[in-house]
Amino acid sequence: MSSSPQRLHPAILVIKVLTSFRRWFGITSVPWLFVLFRDGISSSRVLLLLAVVAISIVASGVWAVLSWRATVYFVRGNAFHFRQGVIGKNERTVPLDHIQSVDTVQGPVQRLFGIVEVRVETAGGGGTEADVSLAAVARPAAQQLQQALAPRRPSVAAIDAVEPDAPAPLLVRRLSTGRLLLAGATSGQIGVALPIIFTISQLFDDVLTPDFVLAYAQDWLPGSFAGIVVIAAGVLLLAWLVAVGGTVLAYAGFSLSRDGDSLRITRGLLERREVTIPINRIQAIQVVENVLRQPLGLVLVKMESAGYGADAGVSTTLFPLLRRTEVEDFLQATAPEFAVWPVLQRLPQRARRRYVLRSAFPFLFIALPASALLAWQDRPVLAPLPLIMAALAAAYGVLRFRGVGWALSTGRLVISHRTLSHVIVIAPQRRLQSRSLLQSPFQRRARLATLIVRVGRGSAFEITDLDATVAGEVLYRLGPAGVQATP
Amino acid sequence: MRAEPSERLDPRAKRLWRLEGLITSVFLLIPTLGAFLLLDRVVDAAALVGALPWLAWALLVVLITVISPDLRWRRWRYEITDREVDLQRGLLYVTRTLVPLARVQHVDTQQGPLERSQGLSTVVFYTAAGPNRIPALATPRADEVRDRIAALTGTQDEL
Repeated sequence: MSSSPQRLHPAILVIKVLTSFRRWFGITSVPWLFVLFRDGISSSRVLLLLAVVAISIVASGVWAVLSWRATVYFVRGNAFHFRQGVIGKNERTVPLDHIQSVDTVQGPVQRLFGIVEVRVETAGGGGTEADVSLAAVARPAAQQLQQALAPRRPSVAAIDAVEPDAPAPLLVRRLSTGRLLLAGATSGQIGVALPIIFTISQLFDDVLTPDFVLAYAQDWLPGSFAGIVVIAAGVLLLAWLVAVGGTVLAYAGFSLSRDGDSLRITRGLLERREVTIPINRIQAIQVVENVLRQPLGLVLVKMESAGYGADAGVSTTLFPLLRRTEVEDFLQATAPEFAVWPVLQRLPQRARRRYVLRSAFPFLFIALPASALLAWQDRPVLAPLPLIMAALAAAYGVLRFRGVGWALSTGRLVISHRTLSHVIVIAPQRRLQSRSLLQSPFQRRARLATLIVRVGRGSAFEITDLDATVAGEVLYRLGPAGVQATP
Repeated sequence: MRAEPSERLDPRAKRLWRLEGLITSVFLLIPTLGAFLLLDRVVDAAALVGALPWLAWALLVVLITVISPDLRWRRWRYEITDREVDLQRGLLYVTRTLVPLARVQHVDTQQGPLERSQGLSTVVFYTAAGPNRIPALATPRADEVRDRIAALTGTQDEL
């Protein structure tokens, strides 16, 4: 299809002005506030401030109009073209078969105008083309574009006649409100939330004068151990609430539907995101049980999809919360290629020693001298403490060893491993980009080896300490020859 | 485990890596000098202790310019079968990597100034998971390998 050059929706002007205003305000507000507070508020200063604000709005408005007029996109031949630039012209051409997915995002401003942002993600593969983002596109235009750019169309001509009887997307699963809250409560992202809390408290420190804070802190500072515990618990609770809030914002209204050969995910409270992923671009599925979810039998299902490596994290979530028992049916309905739940093989017993040593060794290194020092330094009561830590590390090593399992089931490699979270990886053999076998001198002596498979940029999975002979066999069975041998 | 891949790198690889080792050695002088000054001026350690950084540097230089190039060359092997590229490398930790030709997206040959001085080139082939390298091949050989990978990539059936 050749489409005539299209401009973005005029609402882009408002978005551009708002973003540039926000940026400038962010940069300049601190000195301004400083001046106003130090020298007092006078009418001339306020007028000057308003004048600067007005001029910058007008200037960025003019700039926005110019760049709006200069920005066009169109599909011609077998490529998507995107041209922009007021002073220097810049045209980007993306071949249609390099387009990975076309997603839409709707932020609060876009929702106001009933438009969406369209993001054209391209296949990485060592190429240099970046992704294209169209910040303001009317809904119908966005749908047209999505159809025109849809990957793996048999012929471009077919797109003009959009099949009127194309089946509507089939809803696979929706996240209920109860599950959403449960997902937030068990997300275990307290670690992520803590720095945010500290940053916020830092901000307060900056705003409040030191004298004031000090005077206040005198009353607040915990005089006793109990006080410290209470404050720590308070901070943790706050972090937990932030984590719950973050999950709710990101996953509210999460729904997964299947549209022919693609999956469509819609999610988000303030910012509505709609992501389309061709099923045949999914490289691997990960089923993750974090510590909080393990006793509840709950899991998160993630996907590794080619071209999404850099955009890891939330965007790779296939479904935020499922019961462990629902996973197989869920995968059957979503991406049947990944729906295997085989019996896993375990590592040889002699690998256990290696797991224990690997996790306890650094501690032993520190623990022995530390214990000796404590005993010597008149603190014999504390002396066993470092050794206990080392013992805990060793126990963690055993736990990790027990968590490892693997299976090669009808062309699909399944790996289970455990750190604190328990993760099961499912990767079809034909999706593997490369396989490696790694052997350290220690492993060689114990006839063990580590198998590493790569499915995408930055996503590699490994089975540490397989029996070396078995690992060598698996290495070849996972290759093209192995595919042929499998009926 | 299958037999080792059949082909070796060009013998000039050893000289190339020695040169690279020498250059690295020169740069390693900076932290060595720093450590020495710290011990000598700030801590005011005994002369013998002050000599330790230099000793460590000398050992490292012997390791990276004399010992490791030989061992690396002896270990490095590659083979291009009609379906996969088979690589083996490493000093103490030995890695064997297999890359299906059907997964290869494109192939380059690259040549840095140091490699050029030795008449060597590196073949780099990319999959969706990133680049893989076969370093230090004689330039005509590297071109052959590149063309062979490219030709085989085109004829692979989708797995």
